[in-house]
Amino acid sequence: MLSTSARPVVREVSGTPPTLELLREAVREVTSRRRLIRYLVQAEMKKRGSDTVLGNLWWILDPLLQMIVYVIFVTIIGRGNIPDYPLFIFAAILPWKWYSSVVADGTQSVVRQSALIRQIAFPKIVLPLATATAGVVGFAWGLIPLAVIMLLNPGRFTLYVLWIPVIAVVQYVFSLASAIFVSAANVFFRDLGNVVGHVLRLWFFLSPGLYALSTLDNVSMFKRYPILHDLVGLNPFSVLFEAYRAVIYGTADGGPPLSPNLLSLFELLLASIVLTALAAIFFKRVEPEFAKVL
Amino acid sequence: MSAGSADVVGNDFQPSHAIHAEDLGVQYNLRFNRKRSMVESLGNVLRRKPPERFWALRHVSIRLVHGESLAIIGPNGAGKSTLLQVLAGIMRPSEGVVDTRGHVSGLLALGAGFDTELSGIDNILLGGAYLGLEDSTTRRLLPSIVEFADLGAFIDAPLKTYSTGMRARLGFAIAASVDPDILLLDEVLSTGDIAFREKSKARVLELARAAKAVVLVTHDMAWVSEFCNRALVLERGQVVFEGKPLEAVEIHQQHTAEAQARKAAEATAAGVDPRIAPPR
Repeated sequence: MLSTSARPVVREVSGTPPTLELLREAVREVTSRRRLIRYLVQAEMKKRGSDTVLGNLWWILDPLLQMIVYVIFVTIIGRGNIPDYPLFIFAAILPWKWYSSVVADGTQSVVRQSALIRQIAFPKIVLPLATATAGVVGFAWGLIPLAVIMLLNPGRFTLYVLWIPVIAVVQYVFSLASAIFVSAANVFFRDLGNVVGHVLRLWFFLSPGLYALSTLDNVSMFKRYPILHDLVGLNPFSVLFEAYRAVIYGTADGGPPLSPNLLSLFELLLASIVLTALAAIFFKRVEPEFAKVL
Repeated sequence: MSAGSADVVGNDFQPSHAIHAEDLGVQYNLRFNRKRSMVESLGNVLRRKPPERFWALRHVSIRLVHGESLAIIGPNGAGKSTLLQVLAGIMRPSEGVVDTRGHVSGLLALGAGFDTELSGIDNILLGGAYLGLEDSTTRRLLPSIVEFADLGAFIDAPLKTYSTGMRARLGFAIAASVDPDILLLDEVLSTGDIAFREKSKARVLELARAAKAVVLVTHDMAWVSEFCNRALVLERGQVVFEGKPLEAVEIHQQHTAEAQARKAAEATAAGVDPRIAPPR
């Protein structure tokens, strides 16, 4: 039946191949298994849509409801002095939902398929890759309520929204690195699944999502330790939130949308590419152990 | 599912063997297998406690030339399935070399299916992609897989609505649609009802005839002598015998009887009636 297809000569040698070879292998596996990745993404979509009464509507409702919760919370504690605050935080909640769901699903992406991994030989790296890619679809759905909220706030919907896909590409690469890393690490340390939820929550509150980056200037601890500003600057979500907010909302004092900080986005893109390569190497290095441990 | 692929290859190289494995060893690191918590693992690392390791397989060498079929027999936990996993490329050996020539496919227990939320058809497409088939190939094979699985209207229903037997049928139909050069079989013939078992047995024989080499793990001694031209007895991860199937079966049965007698003797010495299972 397979007489037309190529017949590979498999040669498995004990020991780990050199690092660069691992990376090359990972790239080869991903490019040759694009179809599998597509099917896995589609399967993810179908599941999300078919299990619930409201189906795909949840992609839209989820970030909206979360935004409402935060708006109520911030109104109660009396910090809501930012104009068009719902849009201000929605510009951060939407990408954050994307990232946090990719990382949370990513921890399970390999472990979940333990039965298959013990039965057939396939490149396992497609699993976190499919998870990260499926996350994009959720984000795309969320752009619908985003557009609605932007139109409800006069002066916010501008041509600067065309920057959103560019920023999303940077975020995609960063989320890919995270998913690949946690999916492999969780095979060996199952506690990671529990840890990840808490780390993500802390991370969100430490990132300028519900507040503007400039708010930190007034925090007494930041006045005393200026080094904290540098640390915040290293947070990928400082860069991403600021960029999304610039093109969706505008300046922190309520000014109209503007271009994102392209230099910091570019730096983050480069760093994310390096991180993805490192994560892929780590993944490939521990991959042979998966079938033994799972 | 026609034969004929058997003699297509062979022009581009002159393979003297289909499978060549030398001094294979698979070591398990129990540090991770015990699913310890992070605290425990960290504690062990700090105390410089060496991780517990054990060899599931050691010093195993196999050489199969075209047309041969090898049976692997042995008691539970002897490393039979581990050996198949190494040959299938699922596991990388800790030491030694495996060289397999041609398309390797295993009919390992695929009873679980691929994704319980998806329909039978979607599972076939997904399964083909997992097995590394070209999508066009899977789509071409689709009608024959559907026919073989014989699930009627259920083929469009999600897998979670299937019975265990139906899942096993679909899993087998997908796995058996691949026509490999090297066929690995791990106790696959024990699934499904009698009618399906007959059908799957016929298909396995057909595949085995078309394949260049077959490796079979089984507890069914009738298969070993009927079907294989060589056999290997594996015990505690090591090869204790390799040679004619009938002799291998004899040795295996002898060892099994000895082990049982030993266990009974130990139990009697401990003052326990061997017919009564000791309380856990």
